[in-house]
Amino acid sequence: MMKYAMVFNSQKCIGCQSCSIACRSENKVPEGLYRLQVKIQGPKGVFPNLAFDYERFSCQMCENTPCVSVCPTHASFMDENGIVDIDANKCVGCLYCISACPYHARFLNPQTKVPDKCNFCKDTHLKLHGEPACVSVCPTDALVFGDLDNMNDPIYEILSKKNFTRKKEHLGTKPKLFTIPNKKGEIKL
Amino acid sequence: MNEIWGNESVNAIVWHWPIALYLFLAGLSSGAMMTALSVEWMNPKRKAPWDAFVKAGVLIAPITIIVGLIVLIFDLTKPLNFYQLLIHYNLKSVMSLGVLLLLFYTPLCAIYAILRFRLTLSKSFLWPVMNLFGGVLDFLEKNSLWFGRLVFALAGGVGVYTGFLLSAIQTYPLYNSPILPILFLASGLSSGIAACICFGILLFSEEVSKEKTKYLLTMDLRVIPIESLLLFALFVGLYFQGGDKALVVLSALSEGSWAMIFWVCVVGFSVVIPSVIALTALKNHAYKVNFILLNSISIMLGVFALRMYILYAGQLYLGA
Ligand code: SF4
Ligand code: SF4
Repeated sequence: MMKYAMVFNSQKCIGCQSCSIACRSENKVPEGLYRLQVKIQGPKGVFPNLAFDYERFSCQMCENTPCVSVCPTHASFMDENGIVDIDANKCVGCLYCISACPYHARFLNPQTKVPDKCNFCKDTHLKLHGEPACVSVCPTDALVFGDLDNMNDPIYEILSKKNFTRKKEHLGTKPKLFTIPNKKGEIKL
Repeated sequence: MNEIWGNESVNAIVWHWPIALYLFLAGLSSGAMMTALSVEWMNPKRKAPWDAFVKAGVLIAPITIIVGLIVLIFDLTKPLNFYQLLIHYNLKSVMSLGVLLLLFYTPLCAIYAILRFRLTLSKSFLWPVMNLFGGVLDFLEKNSLWFGRLVFALAGGVGVYTGFLLSAIQTYPLYNSPILPILFLASGLSSGIAACICFGILLFSEEVSKEKTKYLLTMDLRVIPIESLLLFALFVGLYFQGGDKALVVLSALSEGSWAMIFWVCVVGFSVVIPSVIALTALKNHAYKVNFILLNSISIMLGVFALRMYILYAGQLYLGA
């Protein structure tokens, strides 16, 4: 019993895309589709104080999951470790979960005919090496993976010391993907 | 330019036209059934020969819902897994609740139709089957008022659930409105009335009564202002929520081909044309068959256009 979570530290991210590539090869994501994207925006600010914004797009591992509650067959579910996953055998392919995910994290996998998304490499890298592929390749340690139910986990310390944000918090989905936002910014009116 | 993190517009449209067709057919079925039952209940004797609109309605209802369900099943990416919908139920999912509802509605609807066409069926090659179930049919006929009320309630449920199906989705502002289920119920009813008029006249011309035709035409004319008000409330409601939602309304009503479809097909076919016909050709409820048919066809097209518009514009205009 764990509650897996992830921190994306956008202050440490350099936008190198190694996480995306690791994800693609680990999970055999079909051409042109993505479980994970790190988008780069910028530069922002006034020279010499320039900065880029990095944003991670992937399943947010919501605690209150719109995708699970709409699924008519319980094919979308949250496992005992807090990972939101899809049971291909139960799925009928109604695509309700794809439209219900407010983070656009799901896509239809044309090979399996079942919705696909990040599941923290549950069946692949996590199983073999104890952490998702993206976490293990990140050169700057911008990604931290851990267990929210364990007070001694390093993720606990980070989240108690740093400011973090979660996307679309007003929806009440309580994502378990936390972002440590960029400190540098620009004044925009 | 190719962004290094990849293409952003994958999967922009999740649900395509078959879903709109299903939403239309389900609404039509529910509306036709409710219309048929109301017409039937207007006649205190409630005995054969049945009115043309009763016959048309009870025939349309099972056919459209069955065709709709077939469309829906073949639109699943895994149609062969369809049976999973019947074994696993998630009572938090509107889709599951819909499956449960349809599980009762569809067969009962068909049985009601059999009841109303009993005479014809008993004379056809199906007579042995009809004789076999004679006792059951006698029982249902004796209690047909209650049986009808049950079917009416289920039909109402089918009419609103299609709206809840979309309104449960937070991702798309145009779907996520409490007005949508009522709008779908009202427009489904209006298409159902139109279908009863149209097919009643075309298929059962001997049993058509002018008086009931006028009654249904008046009913349909009353639904039009209600529908327009609901559409107005849907957009104004979103607009007053401000921010992204206000932007969604503005673009959904003014930008691109879907805004055109809204004004030309939705407003044109379901509000303008029926109103013009009602005020000119059918003034004082004159009984002019061609205009009555034109009117009903226009209303049905308008309701289909509304389903298409909500489905696609909802997924395309996100305001961000
Ligand atoms: S981000 Fe989307 S797919 Fe992931 S748990 Fe939340 S709703 Fe479900
Ligand atoms: S597509 Fe599959 S996983 Fe998604 S809601 Fe439908 S049945 Fe559930």
